[in-house]
Amino acid sequence: METIVQNTHKELVEKSKLGDRNSQYKLYELYVDAMYSISMRMVGIKEDAEDVVQDSFIDAFKKINSFKYESSFGAWLKRIVINKSINHLKVKRIALTPIEDHEYHLKDETPEPIEKIDLIKVKLGIEKLPQGYKQIICLYLIEGYDHNEIGEILEISTSTSKSQYHRAKKKLIEIIKGL
Amino acid sequence: MMDNFEKHIRENKDFFNDKKADKNKMWDAISKELDTVESKKVIPLWKSTGFKIAASIIIILGLLTIAGPILLHPNNAGIETSYANKEVLDIEFHYKNLVEHQVKLVQEHPALSKEDKKEFLSFMQDLDDEYDELKIEMKKNLDNERILEALIGNYKKRIELIENLLKQINSSKKINEDYGYTL
Repeated sequence: METIVQNTHKELVEKSKLGDRNSQYKLYELYVDAMYSISMRMVGIKEDAEDVVQDSFIDAFKKINSFKYESSFGAWLKRIVINKSINHLKVKRIALTPIEDHEYHLKDETPEPIEKIDLIKVKLGIEKLPQGYKQIICLYLIEGYDHNEIGEILEISTSTSKSQYHRAKKKLIEIIKGL
Repeated sequence: MMDNFEKHIRENKDFFNDKKADKNKMWDAISKELDTVESKKVIPLWKSTGFKIAASIIIILGLLTIAGPILLHPNNAGIETSYANKEVLDIEFHYKNLVEHQVKLVQEHPALSKEDKKEFLSFMQDLDDEYDELKIEMKKNLDNERILEALIGNYKKRIELIENLLKQINSSKKINEDYGYTL
């Protein structure tokens, strides 16, 4: 099944490389909602997320000849969206890494693990996280990047990524328990 | 190592992709921008398959224009229109004039007997025949440089033959004159 999907996408990608607008639209249609969700999680504002996604698709179609199937098209596109979102936050001078002030309110002990994980509460909890924590939680837990990749994206070291993620996770669990 | 909390979220990551984009509005902006980029973009024509096909057709048509009349009507005067044939005609015209002039000199030369003239002209006839054969070959294969060289060689041979003959006539005349003078 996965191979069929990959081949269908490959055909669309190859046609898009030749500038076929119809294939470009089909690819757009396949990925736009997922990319918009990612950007919304990262930048948090509808208009900003739309701008980021628009720019990402324009960039992706302009540079599509450099896509050599080293990853899936979705993963390649997602990386463009993430980078654009991060750049957008940088331009708006929004802190990408946790602010010390938030750490002040964190309890030192590890919170009790949540017994029944309610995904709706997790989603609400993520939305309530301070910007710096939100990025790292989204990148690790939802986008599935490892700490090396997060280090590259956020331009921080792998160990910083690990320690900041653990703080962000503590904060998230704390918020969820309070819901 | 991931705990259950992390695993559960990662396994259900699609649950978090619940936002719906304003597809049409965004696509309008994207396609508009891509159209602008494409109109500015210099398209490398030689990379386009369409261009390759068009170029091939033009080359084939060009070749047919040059070689077509020869292939379709080998004896047609239309041959003269082709560049390659014009080259042959120029060479032919140049050497033909030279040979005709010298043959005339031989024919009118008072010191030569009828037999000598006949023998010489039969040599020239042989070279004429050879030349006609080469011309037929040339029509079959215009690009054959060897045939073109052979055609020129044929004319050179005739001129050389005539020159040698005239030289012989002149030298024998001189010897005779010397004799006469000595006598």
